Parts: sequence; C-alpha cells; structure tokens
Amino acid sequence: MYSTLDPAGPAARNIATLWWVMLGGATFIFGLVMILLLLSFTRRKGAGGEARQLRIWVIGLGLVFPLAVLGALFACGLVIGERLLARADPEVTRVSAEARSWAWSFAYEDAPGQRTEGVLHIPAGRPVDVAITTADVIHSFWVPRLAGKLDAIPGRVNVLRIEADLPGTYRGLSAEFSGAGYGGFTFQVTAHDAAGWDAFLEDARR
Amino acid sequence: MKDLLRILIAPLVWLATFSAIYGLLGLICGHGIGGTVLGLSLPRVLLITAYALAILLQVALLAVLYHPRLASRSGFVRFVSRITGWVGLVATGYALFPATVSSVCL
Amino acid sequence: MNALERHRRLTTIWASEPGMRGWVSTVNHTDLGRMFLFTAFVFFVIGGLLAMLIRAQLATPHSAFAGPEIYNQIFTMHGTIMMFLFAIPSFEGLAIYLLPKILGTRDLAFPRLTAYGYWCYVFGGAMLLVSMLLGIAPDGGWFIYPPLSGAIHSPGINIDFWLIGITFVEISAIAAAVEITVSILKYRAPGMSLEKMPIFAWYALITALMILTGFPPLILESVLLELERAFGLPFFQAELGGDSLLWQHLFWLFGHPEVYIIFLPAAGVISTVLPVMCRTTLLGYGWIVAAAVALAFLSFGLWVHHMFTTGIPHMGLAFFSAASTLVAVPTGVQIFAWIGTMWKGRPELHLPMLHILGFFCTFVIGGLTGVMVAVVPFDWQAHDTAFITAHLHYVLFGGFVFPILAGVYYWLPHVTGQRRFFRLGELAFALVFLGFHVTFLAMHWVGLMGQRRRIPTYAPEDGWTAINLISSIGSFVLAIGLAMIVIDVVLHALIAARGKRNPWGAGTSEWAMMTPPPAYNFASLPHVDSRAPLAADPNLAVRLARGEGYLATPRKGWRETLSVDIATGRPEMHVIYPANTRLPVTMSAVTGLFFLSLLVKFYWTVPLALAGVVILAWKWVWGLGCKEDLGALRVREGVTLPNAATAERSPGWWGTLFLLTANATFFGSLLFGFAFLWTVAPGWPPPAWFAGSMVTAGVGCLGALLGPVAMRQAIRANRRGDTPLPGIVLVLIGALGVAIACTAMMLQTPAPMGHAYGATLLVLGGYGLFHAVLGVLMAVFLTARVLSGFTSPARWAEFPIVCLWIDYLSIVSLLILLAGHLPGLLS
Repeated sequence: MYSTLDPAGPAARNIATLWWVMLGGATFIFGLVMILLLLSFTRRKGAGGEARQLRIWVIGLGLVFPLAVLGALFACGLVIGERLLARADPEVTRVSAEARSWAWSFAYEDAPGQRTEGVLHIPAGRPVDVAITTADVIHSFWVPRLAGKLDAIPGRVNVLRIEADLPGTYRGLSAEFSGAGYGGFTFQVTAHDAAGWDAFLEDARR
Repeated sequence: MKDLLRILIAPLVWLATFSAIYGLLGLICGHGIGGTVLGLSLPRVLLITAYALAILLQVALLAVLYHPRLASRSGFVRFVSRITGWVGLVATGYALFPATVSSVCL
Repeated sequence: MNALERHRRLTTIWASEPGMRGWVSTVNHTDLGRMFLFTAFVFFVIGGLLAMLIRAQLATPHSAFAGPEIYNQIFTMHGTIMMFLFAIPSFEGLAIYLLPKILGTRDLAFPRLTAYGYWCYVFGGAMLLVSMLLGIAPDGGWFIYPPLSGAIHSPGINIDFWLIGITFVEISAIAAAVEITVSILKYRAPGMSLEKMPIFAWYALITALMILTGFPPLILESVLLELERAFGLPFFQAELGGDSLLWQHLFWLFGHPEVYIIFLPAAGVISTVLPVMCRTTLLGYGWIVAAAVALAFLSFGLWVHHMFTTGIPHMGLAFFSAASTLVAVPTGVQIFAWIGTMWKGRPELHLPMLHILGFFCTFVIGGLTGVMVAVVPFDWQAHDTAFITAHLHYVLFGGFVFPILAGVYYWLPHVTGQRRFFRLGELAFALVFLGFHVTFLAMHWVGLMGQRRRIPTYAPEDGWTAINLISSIGSFVLAIGLAMIVIDVVLHALIAARGKRNPWGAGTSEWAMMTPPPAYNFASLPHVDSRAPLAADPNLAVRLARGEGYLATPRKGWRETLSVDIATGRPEMHVIYPANTRLPVTMSAVTGLFFLSLLVKFYWTVPLALAGVVILAWKWVWGLGCKEDLGALRVREGVTLPNAATAERSPGWWGTLFLLTANATFFGSLLFGFAFLWTVAPGWPPPAWFAGSMVTAGVGCLGALLGPVAMRQAIRANRRGDTPLPGIVLVLIGALGVAIACTAMMLQTPAPMGHAYGATLLVLGGYGLFHAVLGVLMAVFLTARVLSGFTSPARWAEFPIVCLWIDYLSIVSLLILLAGHLPGLLS
C-alpha cells in the first residue's frame, strides 16, 4: 500500500531499480569484508613487508576500491536525479498542495476555483507538477508508490514531479514530524484515465 | 602549531571553497541571476570559474607542502600533510564536479 | 627516597578529600573520568529504557500504550539523551580518564575546568530528567525544527527545557574539548613528539577540535530560538523575515559532524585495542592519522544531506551527495587498515575482541546504507522513514556502542585493578549482537515499505505488523544483553580477584602504573621515545616508581608537571596545578541558576546569577600564580625549566586560543545566519534599514583599534620594568568605546520584534557588548593583579592572555559595526 518497492510511476520505478542495484553491491561488499575478517583468523605466512601490506590494504582496498565504486554510484545518482526533476514540459498538468496541521488541500490549474481536501486528483500517464506549500509548520508530501518526497516549507513553494502509470488510488503520507496529529496525517491520490480526468475537470467547471 | 596547520590547511581550504561555491549557487538561484556571456549562461560560467579557482588553490597548497623549504622538518608531518593535501585536491575536484554538468537552479 | 616513601608523599599531595567531600571537591582526572563515565552510563540506561517504551508502543498495531503527546516526549528524549547525555559525555569521560595516563603525564591541562564541565553536565542533565518526570519533556524531536518548536505551535515549557538544558550541557562539551586539545598538544611525556603519540590521542585531538567547531552553531541557534520563544525575535518565522531553513542549516552544520564526533573516539579505541588483541602494531599509523583528519573535515561538508527533501536546487544537492559518498573513503582506509592489522598479527578472541568483531559487522552495514542514502534520489524515498532509523542505529550502535564496550572490557582491569571472575560477558555479547540485528535489520525493510519515523502507531492493513513485532522482540533481547553487561561490570568491581598489572600485554604507558591508578599517575614522568614505551621497556613501571624520570622529588606540596613543545615533545615549562577545591561545583551551580532563571522566566535572578559567575570566575583566576619569581626549577638531574608563569604562551594562553576558536565559530555562524537571511529568506528586504550614526560608529571603530595597540604598549612597558597601568587604562577606554557603539546599535535597530533583520542586529550588538564588557573586566582584573604584585617583568603570562581577548574583541567589533551598517549603506 505504501511500498516504495512496488512502484506505480516512473520516478518511483527508477528509484526502486537503484535500490536493488545498491542492495546487490552492498551485499557483495559486506560479504567481502566479512570474508577478509574471517580469513585473518586462519594461520598463514605473513603477507610480505609493511610497505607491501600498506599497498594492498590501505591503497588498494582502502582508497582505490571505494573511490571507484563510489564514483560510479554518485554518477548514477546524479543522472537519475537529473531525470526526475520538474523540467518544463508541455504535457505537464499543474496542481498545488497546501498542508496545514493536519490536512492537505489541493487546487488545480486546469480547474480554477476547484479545491479538494485530502484527495488529490491527477490524470494517469501524464507528468504532474505538484506545487507544495504550507500554512503552518513544515510538512512533507510523499506518495511512496509514485515518487520521492518533498517538504512544504513556510514561505516557499517547492515543485515535485509525479506521474502514475495507470488509473487507480495511491496512498500518500505526510512525512515530516508535525506534532500530535502526525501519525494519522495521510492523504490519497486518485489517478484518472483520460475520460475520468475530463469528467473531473468538467465537474469542477459546473 | 605550524606543523598542525600544515596537516589541517588543505582540507580546511576545501571546506571554505566548498561552502563558498554552495553559497554562490544559493545567491545565483535566490536572486535569479541569469544572462549569457560568450554564448554560455552566466551562472554556469561563474560556477565553473569558481570551481577552477578552487582547484588551482589546492594545487598551489600541494606545491607548498611538497616544497623542500616550506615543508615540515618532521618526516611524519611531511607524510601526513601531503596526504591531507591530496585529500583537499581530490575532494575539491570530486565534490564540486557537479558545477560543470548538473542543472543549475532546478 | 625509596619508592614507597615517594608514593606516600605524592599521595598526600594529589589525593582527593576522603568520602563524599572528595566527590564535590576533586579536580583529579581519574576521579572525574570515572564520574563522567558512570553518569554517562546512567543516562545510557535511562535512554535505553525509553527505547524499550518506544518498542513496546510499536510492537503491535493500534497500540494504546502511550498517546502521541507522551510518545513524542519519549522519542525526543531517547534521541536527546543518547546523543547529548550519553555519547558525547562518555567520550569525554574516557578521554579525561585515559589521556594523561596514555600521554605519560599526571593530569589534564586545567583540572578545575574538568570538574566545572562535569558539574554542568550533571546539573543540565538533571534539568532534562526533571522535565521528563513532570511530563513536560521536550516533544519536538531531537532536531526540534521550527516553526513546530516555535512559541506559536509549541507554547509550553517543553521546548525551553531542550534549548536551555542542552545549552547548559554543551558548556561541558566545550570545556572538555578545550581541556583535551590543550592537554594533548602541551601535556605529554617529555620526548613524545607528534609522531610518537599513541593513536588514541590523535583521535581525541581531532574529536576535540571538531567539538570546538561543531557545537557552536548548535549553541547559537538554541540561543536564537530561545530568544524567539521568550521575546518574540522572529529568526525562524517566514512571515517576519526569518527562515525555518536557517535552523536546519545550523542544526545539521552541528548535527553531521556530531556523528563523527561520536565515531572518531570509538575508532580511537579500536585502533588502540585491536593491535593489542592481535599481538602486533597498528598497520599504517600515518595513514590512519591522515584518514581521521580527512574524515573530520569532510564531515563538515555534508550537512545538507539531511536536507535533500527541502527543495534545494539539484546542483546543491549534488555537491553534498558527492561529498557524502567521498567521506566513505577515509572510513574505508581505516576499516581496511584494521583488517590489515589483523592479518599482520595473530588475533585472539578475548572479550574486547568479540565486541570489535561486533563493531565490524554492524558498522560496515551502517556505512553501506549510509552510502545509499547519500545518493539523492534514493534519499527522496528513504528520508524520514524507518530505513533511516535503522541506518543511524547501525552507525551509532555499531560505530560507538560496540567499540566503547570493547574499551570498557579492555580498561576495566585498569580502573579496578582486578580481573573478571564470572564469564558473563561472552553470553551478554551474544545477546547484544543478536538482539541488535534482529531489532534493526528488518527495520530497513519496513522503512522501504513506507513506515515513517516517529509515528506513534499504525494500522494492521499498513502491512508493517510482523516486522515491528520482530523488532520489538529483538530489542528486548538486546536490553537483556546490555543489562547482563552492567551486572558483569558490577560483579567485576565487587569481587576482588586481584589482576595482573598489564593483563593484555599492551605497550602504551597507561599500563606502566599500579592499578587501580594512584592519584598522581606516575611517581616520576617517563621520557618517551616510542609509540609503545612499555613494549620498548617492560620494566618501565618499576623504574618510574623508583624515581628514574622527571619530577621524582615532591616539592613544597605542589602538584607539579611538565608541559612540552607541541611538535617535538621537548620539555618546555614547569607547571603547578591547582589543588582540590569546591569552586567548580559552586560555579556550575550558579551557572545553573542562570539557566534555570531563564527557563522559568524569573528574570530578576538572571543578573544576580551573572554577578555570581563573574565573582567566582574572578576568584578562579585570582587563585593562580605567585608573588615572587620562581627562577629556573630543576625537574631532573641536569635539566632545569622555567615556570609557566614566565611564558609568553602559557597553558592559559593555549586554552584561551582554543576557547576563542569555538567563540569565533559561534560568531561566524551568526554572520552566516545574517547573510543567509539577507540573501535567501523570503520576506526580505525589511521595511526599514538601520541608519546608525557616524559618531557612535566612529567611537566604536576607534575603541576597537585602540585596544590592541594599547595592550601591546602595556606588555612592552611591563617587560622593560615600567608600569603597564597607563596602557591597561587605554585598553579599558577602548573597550568602553566599543560598548557604546554596540549599545547604540542595539537601541537604534529597527523593530527587532517586527523583522528578523532588526532581531539579528540586536543579537550582533549584544554579542559585541558582551565582549566589550568582558574586555573591561579583564582590564580591571589585570590592573588589580599588577597592583597586588602578581606580575613582574618575568612573570607576565597573564598579559598575552588578555591581549588575545582584546585582539578578538577588536576584530569582532569591527565586523559587527561593518555588518550592522553595510546593508543600510548598500541600499
């Protein structure tokens, strides 16, 4: 229901793939370290002089190996991050989300005057930019199956790109601690097919 | 105290230039500085210039730490200060690299 | 004099008072180190009990164990206690207990400051405990982000307890950091050059320097938020020109280095204990020192990675993502150097070694998940979920608790002079290890399944029930394991099975003394020419007891030691320590009165407490020094040294220098905050700029420039044998000029409650005024010292100390006047 590993949109899918790759890499490195650790208990001849040991342990395993892995990982993260940004795009639908303790209220550029409480309506299969603001303290807008989270900061507008592949209902959470009502502070995203989205806009105009 | 300074200076300068370039980015995005010079966007030119300067500064520091007259008299301090000198240079080149490729204010 | 008689005479000089009186009047580092560690572990138990409550609450869905109001207090206090009242103080305690012994000397640089720091920690910690018992504990999370923690959304006293209590406790961190830095640099055994320092000292030095530069941003923002809450100065309110992101920047500017401040001492323990457990020496000593330095600096350039979801431009995130991955490299260097050390030697599975293996297993996982959350897109999903909770516990429990437990078992025989009798520790380790991983490994998963941090409860249909139940069961196993360790340690202390003097066959000098250690540590100070003096000379302890070292003959009832040149370890000065006194405990109680008055808003006792602090501080410094020249003192056959009172750079000067380093970081953070608000905050420019008058600004500038010149004139006059008093009077006039300019700025600043701009100028002016008043007090003090005959052309150590403060005053007041007038001039 809230799982980031059951993605339903491109952003969440990219990040889930990233996670699986990182999990694989991390498991491998952890295994390597544990094996090296265990092998130190076995009896064996010394591995040459101090200079040679330094070359193997400090320079090889300590410097070169992490730098190579981390460099690749960082580049990967940078490319994926760039891809997920809310760039200008004629296809984009714009909505806004205002948080207050403890409810979300949503407005729609295509349906001025229409406001919904607790449920965000979006078209499926199209990128949506959510302009996130707050009326009181810091909150965070998060629909785990669609995309990462972005905070609602007093005095600022933050824009998050989300997209749902298919029509349906997705659960959202406010993911920044906000006091007594934080635990139950959730919302819903309803993604409509093209006809449903037109009907939603039509409904609003009436 | 001078020996301690030799060990600390390169990463310290890294920290200063790193924060300064982050501050420059904040200034560019916060005040909507834009425009172009020689066909390139002004923010990008500013950031890349700052990046290059930061690297040059680290190279200069490294040169000082390797200079026979300016380096420490203690072999140990020479060794450690040269490693931290390299740390400063690599950290500058690596951590500020996004200045050249990442989108600026998105 | 034979060894026994020397022992008797030194003990009379150095021993604390007997019984309870000794507890409050002791300034001895062994006593205070033990007291620090004991208190820290008491807080560890309290924090652990709170963790049990959290796990009890989350064990089942729809739990009605605690409502959100109580639950929020519980997790806030769990984090706060573990970070501020357990982790940092236990490092301080370990360093205070160990450093003089491992450095081959008799005590830390400023014994009374150690005691003052300890009592500030106890009183500050007690304030937080009281708040918890009364059910009004802080409830905004350990990071207490405004505006949630501001007066509008948290009107109660809860948050004030955090801001004021933690600031009070941080005095002890700053005090200990100054103490540790100066001790490592200046108070070592003769001959111990930088490269011969035991590796633990390097780690402690780097950690202490990090505390000096990492904690001031936290102290500053606590002051600012308290000013906002109590007096309505809107630093963090967006609608009045403040910015809640300023808090986050300052908080993580402290908060990230904090993680490494916690990890580095633990790494120091591993680097010390591991080679002994493997019957070898540390592989790559120089590399490890360089890696620790690199780690320290890199850790100051990562703070934004706690703010990846706040909407900062992607390039900014990328900078910090890169730096965050980079920090894994020096960590990797250390990890592999340790494993290389194990390959080099023959590891033996003693109890400390088990905990070190626990460290490897746990910390490596924490490091790997740390690299994951350094990748920006992944952090957008993982941030503020249980994944982060799991990650940080892997880092902190793996990177701190396991190594500290290794250290506890390693040095327990030193503290008690006994050996373990029951073999409870091995079983306890197994329970702790298993319990920990059962609790936290699956917690990563439930985080990825969308469970947020800090939620008081959840529903069965969320799908988190099974993992939470497993975590809760694991946590109780972990708690049982830790309780068994406590029992094991208590049994160890109670059951008198006499241990060998150096049970592990270690090479560092803390084992070259009888155990439990005597109050004076070494009957005579060793001359050190290797990193492992005891390995080089197994007979060292006996030779030192026989008096074959420095300062073997007690003299005039003085607590004597030596200080050395920083780089080479050449003996430089003869130092006389102050003896037992209740001044520190009294002064921290009065300091506590100051904080308590602010907390309960009982403002008329504030000036009383301040006056009390001034009087006690006066008494504190007055008690040092003497009225006649000591001349050169013999410290060993054929070696004579001058006393520290004749030095240009006395221990007090070094202490002042590092205190001012912390102070300058505080001031720098304030200027950063000003620049940040000015350039980035919404709601700027303010309705009106500060105009200022040229007259007061001119008076301030002249005063600022006069001070340093006059102080130098006074020093020259004193060295010539003339009276320094005219110079000192000019210093006083200069400080008064600065005070006038700063007061004018505070009075004329536009609407401090109406906009963050005016509020910032008010604080800047207040900072300048505070230092100007300090300058006046110091000038008066110096005058009194000169008139009472405490100074002479030879005994002039106090002049350079005052000079440092006056120079600092000069620089900051010029910057304050510039910062105050610049925005008005520019517009």
